[in-house]
Amino acid sequence: MSAQTNPLIDDGLIEFLLYDVLNAESLCELEGYEHHSRETFDLFLDSVRRLARHDLLPTYKPMDEELPEFRDGRIVTHPSLPHLWRKMVEVGVLTGTRPEAVGGQQIPMLVHMMATAYLMAANLSAYGYIGLTLGAAHLIEAFGSDEVKERFMAPMYEGEWTGTMALTEPHAGSSLADITTTAAPTEDGYYLIKGSKIFISGADHDVTENVVNLALARIEGAPSGTKGISLFAVPRLRPENGELVSNDVTVAGLIHKIGWRGLPSLALEFGDVGDCRGWLVGEPHQGLRYMFQMMNEARIMIGVNGAATASAAYHEARTYALERKQGRRLGDRGADQVPIVEHADVRRMLLRQKAIVEGSFALLGTAARYADVANRGPESERERAHLLLDLLTPIAKTFPAERGFEANALAIQVHGGYGYTSEYLPEAYMRDQKLNTLHEGTSGIQSMDLLGRKVVAKGGAPLRALAEEIALAVTEARAAGCDAELCDAVEQATDRVVSITMELGQRGMAGDTDGMLGHSWDYLDMMATLVVAWQWLRMAAAARTRFKDEPTQQARLHGTEAAAQYWIRTEVPRISVLAELCRTAEDSYLKAQPDWF
Amino acid sequence: MKILVSIKRVADPDNASKLKVSSDGTAVTSEGLEWKMNPFDDWSLEAALRLTENAAEKNARVGEVVLVSIGPNDEHTQRIIREGLAKGAERGILVEADDANLDSNVVSQILKAVVDKENPDLVVMGKQAADGDSNVAGTKLAARLGWPIINYAMKISTNDDGKTLEVKRELDTGVATVKVTGPAVITTSDRILQPESVKNGITPADHQYAKLEVGGRYASLKGIMQAKKKPIDQMSLGDLGIEAKVALKYTKFELPPARSGDTTFVESVEDLVDKLHNTAKVI
Ligand SMILES: Cc1cc2nc3c(=O)[nH]c(=O)nc-3n(C[C@H](O)[C@H](O)[C@H](O)COP(=O)(O)OP(=O)(O)OC[C@H]3O[C@@H](n4cnc5c(N)ncnc54)[C@H](O)[C@@H]3O)c2cc1C
Repeated sequence: MSAQTNPLIDDGLIEFLLYDVLNAESLCELEGYEHHSRETFDLFLDSVRRLARHDLLPTYKPMDEELPEFRDGRIVTHPSLPHLWRKMVEVGVLTGTRPEAVGGQQIPMLVHMMATAYLMAANLSAYGYIGLTLGAAHLIEAFGSDEVKERFMAPMYEGEWTGTMALTEPHAGSSLADITTTAAPTEDGYYLIKGSKIFISGADHDVTENVVNLALARIEGAPSGTKGISLFAVPRLRPENGELVSNDVTVAGLIHKIGWRGLPSLALEFGDVGDCRGWLVGEPHQGLRYMFQMMNEARIMIGVNGAATASAAYHEARTYALERKQGRRLGDRGADQVPIVEHADVRRMLLRQKAIVEGSFALLGTAARYADVANRGPESERERAHLLLDLLTPIAKTFPAERGFEANALAIQVHGGYGYTSEYLPEAYMRDQKLNTLHEGTSGIQSMDLLGRKVVAKGGAPLRALAEEIALAVTEARAAGCDAELCDAVEQATDRVVSITMELGQRGMAGDTDGMLGHSWDYLDMMATLVVAWQWLRMAAAARTRFKDEPTQQARLHGTEAAAQYWIRTEVPRISVLAELCRTAEDSYLKAQPDWF
Repeated sequence: MKILVSIKRVADPDNASKLKVSSDGTAVTSEGLEWKMNPFDDWSLEAALRLTENAAEKNARVGEVVLVSIGPNDEHTQRIIREGLAKGAERGILVEADDANLDSNVVSQILKAVVDKENPDLVVMGKQAADGDSNVAGTKLAARLGWPIINYAMKISTNDDGKTLEVKRELDTGVATVKVTGPAVITTSDRILQPESVKNGITPADHQYAKLEVGGRYASLKGIMQAKKKPIDQMSLGDLGIEAKVALKYTKFELPPARSGDTTFVESVEDLVDKLHNTAKVI
């Protein structure tokens, strides 16, 4: 299948999720969204979709093959990038969700997510520049002084400069508390920054003239650990007397990556010659707290990266399975070979991909909707939405990344030996996907965040809220006439998850940390399996209600029901196994010693 | 400069495989189809927008583009007008009419009535519509108006606000350059999307538009929000004093024969030539 004809994401799915499952139109009643309507949502989706298919997708393979170069201390990126960057900025994805005061149009997060997913599916690295710039500018918008906003946020939101997140250091990746980059105050309002960063994506390129690094550093004399870290805007070039001059940020190396190859990740040196200036964002020592406040948004975006990448590969596989002829149906001695989609095992692979991809989008959309309500909903609903968003975030980040990787591998499998060649796209999507389990907190870190922090927060209120939401969905699915056995299975699994969570929480309170967290990975897997089952039940119910009597939508109805059935019958039974591992604190690897490996 | 641009909603040509012919064979049914702006009109809208803006000043508008769409007064027609407004046009006109009562004869009559009301300096139209592919409405309109018609424009330049224009036309045999004094009707070819195809004497002459892959510019989110405040006038044929008299009658539609998806691999160039000559009979 040629790249140009891959739809990337099924338009009908997005329409169904937005309007039939997640009721996006009702968001127009929320404070600040009143000026929107379904028409604006649809026109925006349409523009972004076309941009993804016509401009971003054709550059995907060239960008994967023609890598950035490190030349004379600067990074040279793919020549198509400046044009793509301009177009993405012009269409409004950079500032779409931001208020008018900073040049945005305040579109709901939910709609922005579904639109930008197409750009991610088309060319993850090209969209990466937008994602990073939005993240950096938003941090300054939320916490920076007016001066810092004017100097650094404004040019980013205008698309003149791009942004980065400069957190990681060679010895401090997951453990940001250990960063050692320093910031020395001066009398002129800025700090002198010194230190090494690694893996900083987008820190140098020739897409725009300048880059603003949002860097974590320690002010001299600050307390150790997480409480002594501050956030700084450290531009590559600094504005001085109306000109941009070097700010002593040097590229120490270009990292050779297996995916996201259009977006250079760099080793950086701040202050090689002692003249790297950084401007404090917000208050001293609050850097990590600021980062954490923006974390839901950033992590959910990684989840969308995952769902989008799995979706693009799924569509490649789907088309291939319809076209590739190989073998005959069981028992058929006929002369003609049949398209491989006729084989049960190929259908299994396709349905599994569909369940993962569409389940991920539904979960992410649900999280985005909670974010919208948490920000702009009626006062009475905000707190609950916040609890649910916090709880779902580590799952919405990890499930699409981990299971998306599995879906990506299945897309290769559907292609047989051809999938293992670079003539076809699935291998590239799989390489891209892998990053999503690593950056913005590895999956392991997410699992501890979920079990160690999120589900036990506020005396278990988030989990109770989730259980109520699932119960509501089960009731609605029953009323819509969904298969009673599926409804029962989800109901029972929820009870199991709630009871094991209480048990683990009690262990934690009694000081048995290993007993509580030793199986955090299995716990995350279990929870993700449940919330995705919840999404599939909601989709099945909405599809029945909406499409039952529509002759042109029967394939969508049956496809949705089959995927819901697949997920609940084949995955939900694992929940009791996983719960049992948590309950017994099964100790094979807990007791394993380093010299056993 | 004031430009009238006609836009038609057509069944999404990318979904042509979903097209069906009615059982008596006299009509194409539109059930379950998605509607979008005729892609040819999208190109002409792009040309009109370039003629009426300063691209060097963030596409600041320096002229006026009025959109007119003829069709049922439903969400699909309204949506393509809104899309055009979101891309930059200033106003829309929706002339309500039933598809069954429309052919190029009636359409050109309606457009003439709108031109008489609006007095534009130019009418820019798609060379054809992606559904009927008839390629006559522009020429008929020009004939009714007694204006010059320039079909298949691939380059348009003006220096005096559209009073005189130099237009390059794309022909099978090459490129013809014509000079015309407005008002005139112009239809465009896809080459009009090229980075330097339109010069309006205001956008600096060396300005290069971004390369467009398949259609005109995308509506931006900002443009979409601004479009909500732009007016769409609705009128009926009666308001324009027109009685719809369809002159063209469709007698039969047939779907093209299904294409066989078989792929044949060839061993050599000779083999390929042989297959093309003897099996496919195309050379
Ligand atoms: C392509 C790419 C782009 C990146 N872009 C950026 C960027 O733009 N800006 C930026 O700041 N960073 C960036 N990073 C860095 C990324 O965020 C880190 O790689 C990530 O945080 C993990 O840190 P690490 O690589 O040091 O791994 P480590 O922290 O060393 O982790 C190694 C393994 O140990 C596990 N582990 C570590 N600590 C614990 C613990 N406490 N409990 C349980 N398990 C643990 C991890 O889960 C992982 O499996 C990028 C990385 C890559 C690969």
